[in-house]
Amino acid sequence: MDFYDLAGIDWWSTQCFYHALAYLGREGLIICYPTGPYVCLGLHDDLDQEIDRAYCEAHGLPLLRRETGGGVVYLDRNQIFFQLVLRRDNPALPLRRQRLYERFLQPAIRACRFYGLPAELRAPADITVGGCKCSGNAAGDIGECVAYVGNILLDFDFDLMCRLLRVPGPDFRACLRAAMRRYLTTLADWLSVPPSHLQLSTALAAGFAEEFGPLNRRRPDEELEAEAERLRGRLTGRSWLSLPGHRRRERRIKIAEGVYLVEQGGARGENGALLLEEGGVADRADCPDLLADEELPPSYNAGDRRPDALPVEA
Amino acid sequence: MQVDKRFVPEDLRYDRNDYWVKATAGEAVIGLTAYGQDVTGDILYLELPPAGSSFRRGEDSGSIESGKWVGRLLPPVTGMVLERNSALETDPSGVNQDPYGAGWLLRVRLADPSELDGLLNPAAYREWIAGQIRREREEEAAL
Repeated sequence: MDFYDLAGIDWWSTQCFYHALAYLGREGLIICYPTGPYVCLGLHDDLDQEIDRAYCEAHGLPLLRRETGGGVVYLDRNQIFFQLVLRRDNPALPLRRQRLYERFLQPAIRACRFYGLPAELRAPADITVGGCKCSGNAAGDIGECVAYVGNILLDFDFDLMCRLLRVPGPDFRACLRAAMRRYLTTLADWLSVPPSHLQLSTALAAGFAEEFGPLNRRRPDEELEAEAERLRGRLTGRSWLSLPGHRRRERRIKIAEGVYLVEQGGARGENGALLLEEGGVADRADCPDLLADEELPPSYNAGDRRPDALPVEA
Repeated sequence: MQVDKRFVPEDLRYDRNDYWVKATAGEAVIGLTAYGQDVTGDILYLELPPAGSSFRRGEDSGSIESGKWVGRLLPPVTGMVLERNSALETDPSGVNQDPYGAGWLLRVRLADPSELDGLLNPAAYREWIAGQIRREREEEAAL
């Protein structure tokens, strides 16, 4: 399989190269990270419902809508992306496309474990460390191919992520931040010196070679560069970004697999009830409780190993 | 409500992308089969082409998002949209719960009614999904 080890590239390139591979009908693996921050919408996200555009504009955060699913994500250089494009007729592709996540995420799980983190797959498509999500993943049919895309959080700007989302009010935002801190984790939570992009990229590539066969390292050619540039115009264009999306009666933000923060019943300027839904069961979101432990990952709170006691690879 | 993924009504035609077609007098209603919705999983959002738009058989005409997946809507016939099922815009779960009834997707005017001859009859579609289910079992066993 062709392997594009792109390291740090322009923010838009981190999305456009895998779309370009897919539209060209070419299989390949891309590992990269964005040198600058941006905000990425899922195919069916409604821009005005999800994002505070004025804030993004004022803070120079560019927007892009990808063609895979899932929700809005804030992306920056404190993450590393792995993107796999397969042709739809590839026999490795299962009938139930979600089933490929198990194989697709193994390299990232192994990379995290290599650095001593107790990483596990939480079906269908989350990687958890100490019970908290540390990787975002999505997939979709693009052209004659399918694309699986994922990332590992080396660190994460929780404040910025909460600020750029459109939310009903300050209480919701405070709860959102606390819930994200409770249910998400990053390598920086666990390792006093997180691995570099190069170290992670090397570990991921080894894992993908083990899972999907030998990798043929190459650079983007003219055809791929040109297609990526063409797609940049489309995926960041005003009309594409403004496509109508999934509008909900209630404000509902996914935190992790099966975990949502929801405001129900807010109308005419009144705040509604804040609910934290987990595994299909909704409880009133108790912000003081959430906020009390927001700075620490749950495993730390639960008295497990201290994050800085984990082995650190050079 | 759990839908039997093997249920194949006798009065419809089918394609290998798991869509059904019910044709009457130059028009047709299109939907996803019980097996198709089962493979897709719980549907979270549907992007259907608007009334008045034309589409070609097998060409990308919309999208279907389920948990962690966005698939393409590939119509089994060529035509023009007369009506889309607007109830699915707010609650797409109708496709999972009642794929041959309330979960219909589009009502269309057929551009080429002879395309219906190329679709599978119920017996042939049953055979097709039996093969798909065998393949799924093999995939599961290989995991």
